Amino acid sequence: MLKKITLITLLVMISSCDLMKQDEYREFVVVEAYLVSDRQLPPVFISRTVPATAEYRFEDAALNNADVQIHLLSLNGDVKEQTFDFAAGTPGVYTTVENHLVLPGRTYELDISFPDRAEILNARTRIPESFKVDELSADSIVYQSPDQLEITLSNSNTTSQQSVFVFNTLAQDVRYENLTPFYKNFVDNDNITLEQAANSPSGLLNEANFEKNSDGSITIRYPWIGVAFFGPNLLVANSLDKNLFDLIRSQEVQLGGSTLSPGEIPNAIYNIEGGIGVFGSISSDTVSVFIERP
Amino acid sequence: MLKLFCLPAFLLVLPFTLNAQQTASVNGYITDSTSGETLLLANIALLEINRGVSSNTSGYYSLTNIPAGTYTIIASYIGFRRFERSITLEPGQTLRLNIELIPESTQLEDLVVESERDKEEQRNIGTSQITTALIKQLPSVLEPDVFRYVQLLPGVKAASDFSSGLYIRGGSPDQTLILLDQTTVYNPTHFFGFFSTFNPDAVKDVRLYKGGYPAKYGGRIGSVLDVYNKDGNRNTYQGTVSLGMLASRAAVEGPYKYGSFMLAVRRSTLEPVLAALRSSTDSVPDLFYFFDINGKINLDAGSNDRLSLAFYSGQDRVIFPFGDDAEIGLTYGNQTVSSSWRHIFSDKLFGTATGTYSRYFNRPEFEFGGTPFERENDIYDFSLKGDLEYLVNENHTLSAGIWAGILTLRINDRFDNADTFNSRIQSTYASAYLQDQWRADNNQWIATGGVRVSAFSSGDYVRLEPRMSLEYRIRPEIRLQAAYGRYYQYLTLISNEAFAGFDIWLTTDDGVPPAYGDQFVLGAKTQPFSGYGFDAEVYFRTMRDLFELDPFVADPAGLEYNELFRFGEGYAYGVELFFEKQTGRLNGFIGYTFGITERKFPGFNADVLDDPSNARFYPPKYDRKHDMNIVLNYRMSTRWSVTSVFSYATGQAYTEPLGRTAFSNVPWGNNSRDTFVIGRVNASRLPAYHRLDFGFARTGTFFGMGSSEWQFQIINAYSRRNVWFYNYDFDSNPLERSDVTLLPILPAISYTVSF
Repeated sequence: MLKKITLITLLVMISSCDLMKQDEYREFVVVEAYLVSDRQLPPVFISRTVPATAEYRFEDAALNNADVQIHLLSLNGDVKEQTFDFAAGTPGVYTTVENHLVLPGRTYELDISFPDRAEILNARTRIPESFKVDELSADSIVYQSPDQLEITLSNSNTTSQQSVFVFNTLAQDVRYENLTPFYKNFVDNDNITLEQAANSPSGLLNEANFEKNSDGSITIRYPWIGVAFFGPNLLVANSLDKNLFDLIRSQEVQLGGSTLSPGEIPNAIYNIEGGIGVFGSISSDTVSVFIERP
Repeated sequence: MLKLFCLPAFLLVLPFTLNAQQTASVNGYITDSTSGETLLLANIALLEINRGVSSNTSGYYSLTNIPAGTYTIIASYIGFRRFERSITLEPGQTLRLNIELIPESTQLEDLVVESERDKEEQRNIGTSQITTALIKQLPSVLEPDVFRYVQLLPGVKAASDFSSGLYIRGGSPDQTLILLDQTTVYNPTHFFGFFSTFNPDAVKDVRLYKGGYPAKYGGRIGSVLDVYNKDGNRNTYQGTVSLGMLASRAAVEGPYKYGSFMLAVRRSTLEPVLAALRSSTDSVPDLFYFFDINGKINLDAGSNDRLSLAFYSGQDRVIFPFGDDAEIGLTYGNQTVSSSWRHIFSDKLFGTATGTYSRYFNRPEFEFGGTPFERENDIYDFSLKGDLEYLVNENHTLSAGIWAGILTLRINDRFDNADTFNSRIQSTYASAYLQDQWRADNNQWIATGGVRVSAFSSGDYVRLEPRMSLEYRIRPEIRLQAAYGRYYQYLTLISNEAFAGFDIWLTTDDGVPPAYGDQFVLGAKTQPFSGYGFDAEVYFRTMRDLFELDPFVADPAGLEYNELFRFGEGYAYGVELFFEKQTGRLNGFIGYTFGITERKFPGFNADVLDDPSNARFYPPKYDRKHDMNIVLNYRMSTRWSVTSVFSYATGQAYTEPLGRTAFSNVPWGNNSRDTFVIGRVNASRLPAYHRLDFGFARTGTFFGMGSSEWQFQIINAYSRRNVWFYNYDFDSNPLERSDVTLLPILPAISYTVSF
């Protein structure tokens, strides 16, 4: 009996070796474009992936001979109302000369093909409804004072799904001596550069985090962690579409910090047929504020 | 359903309605003669008629329907001399015979540890008994630990040197029910997962049910770790004081007028080290400590009644400065209280009633640049349990029980002094089981069948869980076993392998059904030679409706409850071999596991260009195909002994990035978002893990007042730099990979005085 058990054990072990083999590297076409409501159509960046161990520079990975079109779709999404042709300027960067302001609440489609590659890429984005900063509690405020800065955003959400926001602070007087203590420490330790600190974004924030007013507007208490520099700053509120939201939330998981074990890395979520990347959109509004030293 | 819950009441009445026969019975408690501690699952038998039973988890045994006459009663237990006595039973007599077993160590007159005992320990399928004395002897990082010992057993894997989490037969730690004196413990860790909360000074008995476990237990789809604290010495006062590098311990136990008591405390003693480091090193915590207290008091209310009250309280606290104008703080811990009443109704009926309370809490606090983040996470679990064992006749033992309680889970997140997430889930739960164990007259066959019904109010789920096992004894030294069971789980753990201090439990609810799985186990338990044991088990298990926090949820605010989760499935199979030398100056064991486990979640591990909702199976990081542990204990002289542990395991799974790109034009921030392109998740393997630990112990006397022991230990003797995971640095172009390694060579020393 023991011999049989041993034999069965060995058979199971042998038959189970190398159950899963890693894939070989494959090259993918990468697209990157962000439509901003009420602004001109943006450039479309087209490149290819490189092996993980290779040096990466966009200029080297750029793909220059793509046929690129963006279409404005009808309200029900099944008819191409307008088509905008894009052409390569600098390597991998495709722009259009047509004058068109991106329409909030509408859907745009991206088509990319190549004369010398088999890939055909297609993606859609629905532009978030536009909104405005209705109210800013103060034009000037003392850093870390008990009365925090409050921003009221107009009601823009016409869908049942909640909006997802990212806020970023653009410093207007970027000097080392203007750094707030928290960011100064990071710059001193070479964790970030002065340039990176000058544009400090929040994470992804669901609309439900904020106080909803009776008129549908939402009021946000701007956290002090978002302020990297004393002096003049621009506060930008961005509302994201699903594609951009999916890319950011999944790309951040790749870098760790989620419930996944260290070393367990998923692919990012792309929402692009035939390739990878992002065809995303945002609506945004900007206000200025002066941060005083305490 | 109602009928099942009424069953225990029915069983209470049953013995009084049955006709008394002119047979006799013998029953009582089996205890350690030196301490009076009850011995769980000891063997008792009447030689002349080849009848035997095991003591239950209260140390109680009962043999019934014995024809009047004179018999030789024997009792045996690992580490104790065999008890043997002649008894005469009159017709209709019920003999109360409390048996005191004498530890072997007190019998030794020379160095040779020879045993007269019968080594046929009760080893049911999928079950391991942990020798608590060996826990303190094993080389251990910083503190002797129950979980670290359990991780050496076949079928149990460790995630890393830094984690005491139990990954059993392909299951994650939340698939193991952990009980302390019958009370569920929700985060049994100290030092953020480095070692477990169970103080070896306080622990009496540890049972691990790796799989195919009986109907008595439920609530987890994997396994059960059942820990019992000491009752306290019923004969004499006893105490120990132990000074270690990380923590020091003290314990006292002894008798009092009505029973016994035990109190064990442990506290970290790192503060002087931290203070010294703080003056020369950055990133040293401003504050760090942990402590735990275990206590138990027993009341022997009469020959038929024993009452006990046990408690545990433990806490970890750390405050960590993080640059200027930033700080991280964390407090977490557990508290448990259990009160038990054990009653012998008759020679055929034994019962226990237990009330339990368990609380787990954590309080992470961050403050970055004047913006605070705080979380209050609490679990409160109140429950009542009742268990009955009824010996129908010499062939059948009926067991039945109920377990009902109220579980409250509360999470309150505050960001920048405003509530961002508030959840309070209160669930009532109930379960009942009925089990019959049938033994053939010649003890060659043992069949156990049972069923468990469980109900959970969050989501209104009621589930039926059949369990069965069969044992066939080919020869006295060879037993073949098989088991099957279905298991349901209504809770899931949000944790991280690297850090257990932030653990959160969540429950089923509408749209979040319970996870369930089937387990199939085949095993052979043999004793090829006297003093040696060889066991083999093969298992296969499924995991369905697994629910766990979706790793892509960036912000839970405003999401429906079921949108927090991803739902998947998995399976695991493997072979476990266990060879043990139980006696002699040199003793120990070799455990080997061949195991495979894989999981699948929609939207995870799909091909890059595939429909994202598709998925492929992948191994979790902790999957190790081969895993072997060798534990040897050698008594060199009356004073010196050496213990060594060698571990070898195939490398853990990791995901190798195949390609890369970058998103440099995201409308906010100035950072380029470097992004990996992945093939299959976790399809690559880290280098193999191996490590050798040594421990030397020298016993002596402490100024004539008691005994003492020095322990000198070397962890990772040849300083193997095992890889925990790879870190990829995007700041380097091309990408640079660096090893994040586990523990280097570490010496440890401790001194213990017992009086």
